[in-house]
Order: sequence, then C-alpha cells, then structure tokens
Amino acid sequence: MEALSQALLNGLVRGLIYVAIAVGLTIVFGTLRLVNFAHGAFYAIGAYVGLVVAQKLGLVPAFIVAPLAVALFAVALDRLVLRRFYDKEPTAQLLLTFGIALVVEETLRLIFGGTTQQYPMPSWLASASTTIGPIAYPTYQLLFAAGVVVMVLLVWVFFQRTDYGLIVRAGVRDRIMVQLLGGNIRQASTIVFAIGAGLAGLVGAAASPIYSLDPETGFNFLVPSFVVVVVGGLGSFWGAVLGGILIGELQAVTTLLYPPAADVVIYVCMALILVLRPQGLLGESEVIRPT
Amino acid sequence: MDAILQTRGLGKSFGHFAANADIDFAVQPGELRAVIGPNGAGKTTFFNLIAGTIGATSGSIAFQGRDVTRTSGTHRVHLGIAKAFQTANIYPSQSVRQNCRLAALAHVQGAFALQVVRRSNRLGRVDELAEQAMSRVDLGAQADVRAGDLSHGDKKRLDIAIALATEPQILLLDEPVAGMSKDEARKTEGLVKRLASEMTVLIIEHDMELIMGISDSITVLHGGRVLASGTPAEIRASAAVQEAYLGGHTAQEILE
Amino acid sequence: MTATTTSPTTTPVRATMRGSDLRFLLLTAIGLAVFPFALHLIGGYAGLATQIVIVSVATIGLNVLLGYAGMLSYGQAMFFGGGGYIAAILLIHTMPNHPNLWLAVLGATLATTVLALLVGAVSVRLYGIYFALLTLAFAQMVFFIVEQGKDLTGGDDGLQSFPVALLALGPWNLDLTTALPALALGPFGNLGDIKLWYVFAAVVLLAVLWFVRALTRSQFGEVLDAIRENEERSVFVGFNAAAYRLAAFAISGALTGLSGSLKALYDGTVAVDSLTIERSGSFVIYAVVGGVQTLFGPVVGTAIIMYLENVLSGVISFWQLIEGLIFVLAIVFLPNGIVGTILKRRRGARALVDAVRVP
Repeated sequence: MEALSQALLNGLVRGLIYVAIAVGLTIVFGTLRLVNFAHGAFYAIGAYVGLVVAQKLGLVPAFIVAPLAVALFAVALDRLVLRRFYDKEPTAQLLLTFGIALVVEETLRLIFGGTTQQYPMPSWLASASTTIGPIAYPTYQLLFAAGVVVMVLLVWVFFQRTDYGLIVRAGVRDRIMVQLLGGNIRQASTIVFAIGAGLAGLVGAAASPIYSLDPETGFNFLVPSFVVVVVGGLGSFWGAVLGGILIGELQAVTTLLYPPAADVVIYVCMALILVLRPQGLLGESEVIRPT
Repeated sequence: MDAILQTRGLGKSFGHFAANADIDFAVQPGELRAVIGPNGAGKTTFFNLIAGTIGATSGSIAFQGRDVTRTSGTHRVHLGIAKAFQTANIYPSQSVRQNCRLAALAHVQGAFALQVVRRSNRLGRVDELAEQAMSRVDLGAQADVRAGDLSHGDKKRLDIAIALATEPQILLLDEPVAGMSKDEARKTEGLVKRLASEMTVLIIEHDMELIMGISDSITVLHGGRVLASGTPAEIRASAAVQEAYLGGHTAQEILE
Repeated sequence: MTATTTSPTTTPVRATMRGSDLRFLLLTAIGLAVFPFALHLIGGYAGLATQIVIVSVATIGLNVLLGYAGMLSYGQAMFFGGGGYIAAILLIHTMPNHPNLWLAVLGATLATTVLALLVGAVSVRLYGIYFALLTLAFAQMVFFIVEQGKDLTGGDDGLQSFPVALLALGPWNLDLTTALPALALGPFGNLGDIKLWYVFAAVVLLAVLWFVRALTRSQFGEVLDAIRENEERSVFVGFNAAAYRLAAFAISGALTGLSGSLKALYDGTVAVDSLTIERSGSFVIYAVVGGVQTLFGPVVGTAIIMYLENVLSGVISFWQLIEGLIFVLAIVFLPNGIVGTILKRRRGARALVDAVRVP
C-alpha cells in the first residue's frame, strides 16, 4: 500500500511536468499550427539557466530568470527561423524543430558537459518531508506539484478571460476571420508561444531538483510529452492535462510492477490511441487527412 | 426503365446539424438532371454522398441496381460514378496530358497494381483514353501545358476531362461554370450538352439560364431536403420553389 | 515534378538498354569504384567507405518513403536493427556450420518486409506527425522486445562473434573479409586496403539504385507521385491510396532491413544501438542533407555526414552539434538538399539530368 501511494504520488509529480510541457505544446499547435519538436529544448534550457542562476543567487531567482530567458529565446527563435515554416507542411516543421532540438541538446552538452548535474538546494528544503497518510513524501515535490497546478490554472484563466486569450481561441477556430476582424493574431500568437515556452522553462528549472539534469533531459521529457499530447488530443488544453496525469501515473505504476517496461508502456498507449482514436481522448473528431 | 442512380431516405448529419435529410432521388440513364437550391441547401453534400466523399448517416444509395451506400469513393469510381470538383482539383505540377493519363491509368489498371518496374506507357489504352478526354473538353492544344498554369476556366474543364478519362456511366459536375467568363461558360455549356447525350449527368449550378436551357429535369433542394422535382417548366412555375429562392417575390419582379 | 511524358505509342516499350540507362550504370559504377580512393585522399579509410555504402541503402529506403511517398517515418531503426538481428540470429541458430550470407540477408530482408507490412497496415492511414509518432512508437516497442528477449538477442549486450558468413558465388565460397591484391596508389591509398566486402556492398548499392530509379519511373512510382501531389484527386480517380502507401512502406522496410543485415554481418556484431530513436533520426538527417526526392541525395548525404562523424569525432568533441547545425541549415537554406540544389541549378542539360535523377 505504501509503495503504491508512493508510486501514485511520483506519477502525479511526473505527470504534472508532462502536463506543463504538453500544455505549451498543444496551445502552440492550436494557435500557430506549428508542430514543435523543439519544445523539449525549452525545458532543458530552462533547467540549465536555472542551474546557473541557482548556483549564484539561489532557487527563487532561478525560478524567475529561467522562464523569462526561455521565453525570450523562444520568441527570437520564432522570429528568426520558425516563422518561415508556419505555412509549410507539418513534415517540414517536424524536421526543422527536430533539428533545432538536436542543436540545443548538443550546445548544452558543449557548455555544461555530459555529466549529470545536481541542483543546489538549501538543505532544509532538500530533507523536508510531509506526511500524507501512510507515507512521508518530500515537501519540495508537493510544493512543486501545487505550483504547476497553479501555473496551469493561470494559463487557463489567461485564455478564458483576457483579450489575447480570446483572440487565440478564436484563431484556433478560424484564423482568417480573426485577422479580418482586426484581431492582432500575430502578436497574440507570439505571446502564446512565449507563454508555452516559458512554462516549459519554468518547469524545467523547478523540476530539476527532483530529477537529475543532463543534456538529454529535454529530449527525455519531450517524447513523452508528445505522447501526452497525442493521447489527450492535439490542440486540447484539458486533453493535455488529462493525458499528462494519465501517462505520468501509467509510468509510475509500471515502474512499480515491472520496471523494464516503464518506457515502452507509454508508446503502447500512444499506439493504441493512434490506431483506435487518433484524435485523442478529448480532441475533436475531425478527420486526420492531409491538408 | 430502371433508375441508374437512386437514393432512399438519404441523410447526412454533422453532429446535430442535418446537412441532408430524407432525400428520395432517382435519375434515369441518359438524363441531364440539375440539382439546384439556395446556398446552404445541401447540394454539395448530396453530391459528396453520391460520390462517396463522405458517408451517409441514414438512408441508402443504389447505383445500377446495387447498393453502394458503404462502398468506398475509390471503388465507386471504378463502378462508374465520376465527379468533377467545385474548385478544380487537378495535379498542378503535371501536364494536362499527364493529368488525364493518371485518371485513365486508374481506370485501366484498377485501384492498385504493383508494377514496380514496368512503365505505364506500355498501356496503349491509357494514352487513348487520355487523348479522347482531352479532345472532348477541347484541351488537346494545351496537352503539354503545366496544369497549374492554366486559366481558371481551363482548369475546370481539365477537372471534367479527368473525370471523363475514367469512362464513367454517370458524371457529377459541381458548379462547372462558376467563376467563368461568358465565353468560357458558353463553351462549357456546349460541352455539358454533348456529354449529356453520351452519359447520365448530374449538375449543380446557380446559373439559371444554363439550367433551364439544358436540363431534362431539375431537383430543388432546400434546407437539406427535396423541395420539388420535375421538368424545367414545372419548376419555373412552382410557387414553393419561388418562395424558397425568391422569398415570395415572383420571378418577374426579381428578373426585371 | 512532371513525369516523363511520351507520345502515345502502340508498340510496347521493351526493356532494352537505352542510352540514359547505360550512362547511369556506367557513371554510378565508376563513382563507386573511385569512391574509396577519393575518401582516402581526404582522410577516410576503406572500412568507412564500405559502411557508407551499406548504410546508404537504408537512407535510400527512408527516401522512398519520405521523398517519393511523402511520409516521414521516425521508426526506420526497427527495420535496420531488426534486419541486423535476424541475420545474426539466423546465422547462429539455423546455420552455424554452413553460414550462408545470401540466406542470412534474404531471411532478414523478408522478415523486415513482413514487419513493415504489419506495422504499415495500421499506420498508413495516418498522416504527418501522427504517422511519424506511430512509427516511432512501434520502433520503441521493437527495441523493448529485443532488449527483453535476452536468450535470443543477447539483451543489452547484443550479439557478437557469430559465424563469418561466406558468399556463395557459383563454385566459390567467398570470404568477404579477403582483401584485394596490394597495389600502391600514392595519395589514394592502396588497392589492398579494400576488402571484397566493399565490392559486394557496392554491387548491392548499384542494384538498389537501379531498382529505385526504375521504381520512380514505373507505373507504381507514377501513381505514388500522383498520390503525394494530390491524394484527394488520386482517390477520386480510383487509386487506392492506402494500398500504395503500404506498398511504399514495405519497400522502404525491405531496403532498410537489407542494409541493417549487411551492416551486422560486416561489423560482426549487432547491438541495441541499431534500434534507437537516434538511429532512426540519423537516416532522416542523411536524407535531408543529401536531398530527398533525388536518387543520389541519400547516398551523398550519408557519405558527408558519416565522413564528418568519422573525421571530426577524433578532432573535436562537439561533432554532433556540427551535424545538427548542418541539418538545420540544410532544412532552412537548402530544402532540396545538396544534390537537389545542384540539380536545380543545372536545369539545362536535361538529358544528362534524366540519366541520374528522378523525373
């Protein structure tokens, strides 16, 4: 029982990381129609920027600087490179963003080396644990989980309440109409992209004390995030949330029951969804045809 | 005579929206039947159901006596139902001739052929059909022109040629003269008349002059349902049709 | 891309060698004969030449899918590694005393074709990223199965030291590790550096290029191209698009499996690194850099990147970064790849171009 509760909590924490990355992925796809394989790079950059800042100034400044740095990077990337590929086929976008992800991973490896890094954490935080029912769980992880939930809700509110959010949601439905009506979809899209990237960067910085950090981390979280997005439904906010938690828990439980299968089980899940219900759990059942 | 194409209670719903409902429709071999109706009446949906682009949510479709309701669009082409699209759907980077050859190739080889080494130019019939299709729509002179470079009207006629290259029994034309100049429209009208003498033709159009002039019979759709069906004269005289199209004013008042 | 249009003929076109076919064979054969020496000149070694030639076959396989059918697969490693493992397993378990290269390679290729048909049957109805992700998922599943099947596959350690397969050619049984007679060639190295393996691999690559060239001009290739250009239209003139895509996937799987089996036999070992996402990604990189939709692009791309890997990895530690940068630069600035861009610039001599490229 203890082991199971432990696993479920682990799954929740991991799942929330996936949620944070997947939400960014899915809203970028929804608004910009951009398939961004480089999204995991945002996570990794956030983690390493956070590491550097944390080593000099401590955790909290790291959590502020990291998302900002990543958002800036994302906007620059968008302006310089990605923008040209908005109207290209998804295949071309996939290839480009895959290449970018590769370059980022290798650049991080060059700068920081290939070894695993440890995040500097104040020792009181590192050893603090909270008792939940039968188990004692690291407090930081609980704080992290709560933090992600708050961030995701904030993003949700942003979409539902603000003008930008409205433009973006309308743009998902009918891009051209929004432009005709004068909505500045360009600006709104950039903001959305920055938010998605910043969220991934923040989570990268915040999650790295929990999981070890090395240059492959971005990729390690990216592929499952794509699985999450597919399972939840590409373009669906709550699909990303549902999918993230599901996949996180699935991995955790599998790690408990049959560790070698922890990686492959999410691929089996994705394959099942793609074959049986390609639009995902909460995605719209539009036919997945070539443009 | 048995109808070549018949639908019973045909319907298509997208969620709660019924684009087509309860359509009973029958056309005789060799007829030129126009399908008309105000915008949003469900005409293109109806054509898509017949061609197999989309699947029906209720009712049935029978072609030459056999039920094709669940038959794939690809297979329906081989059975003899060919469609020309509303927006000319062609292979823009290929020549006019190659566009027609591809359709003819599908007709000659079937839906799939694993000919990984031999070339299609050994199949004389393919070139024959392509030449015939091109000359019927009067595009022979432009056979080597890149399809994407054609004028709008020529592209639409190429679309028809592509459909013809499959040797159809029934041809569906979705707004064949839309966007054409008067001259092009007249040429196309002549083409449609010629084709109608050789095969069954279903045509969606908004050009009333054209419709009244060439159709053997007309079916009027409104709100996804059949409103009226009959000869051009009957339709012209129908109060119900006038109501639907012209909102109560007589044709006289509008056409003044 | 316009297909070769010909005026209607009533006489059937016979499979006689035409000028362009002969030119193609000759140029390619000469190129392959010269390649290892040219490579030596710039710091490569003969073994590298053989590896490039072998891996090129897999890149060509991916290109059939990506360039001609328009389908991006991120799971080619399942065929590459799969082919390698099957070849090794066949040698170890079915013919330990009479290791026959033909049988091992044939068996591996057949097996990967079947795998491709099975995976393709559920995958080809998807497009774009969905197709890419599903192939990735299947590749990961294959990875898992191989890793777990320790008794047969050696698990994480892979398989080593399997019997050296002999190539049965008429009355002879050739050991492909035999070297050619020594003959010093100055800066181009020594003829004796080259083993029979290179000759065999080069012949295989030549045959594959010949086949793919014929494929793209064939009836099948014509239809595949049409489907890629406008699938909706193709469906509504009566082509079964899904069947064509499945066939393309199977051909791609077969070629990739062929390559993987040869690689395993050449290396003398096969391990799970032949089944990874990175391996799948590498074929994509080679093909894009060289030029998808060209015949020689995949070979050129494979050669360039593998050469760089080999030469750079000894000199700088961040050669993978360079590889990634080349890839990104290629996508952004040279979307037709190196070969494609060169060909576009030389639109003039159509006859020569026709001899080597896809119409």
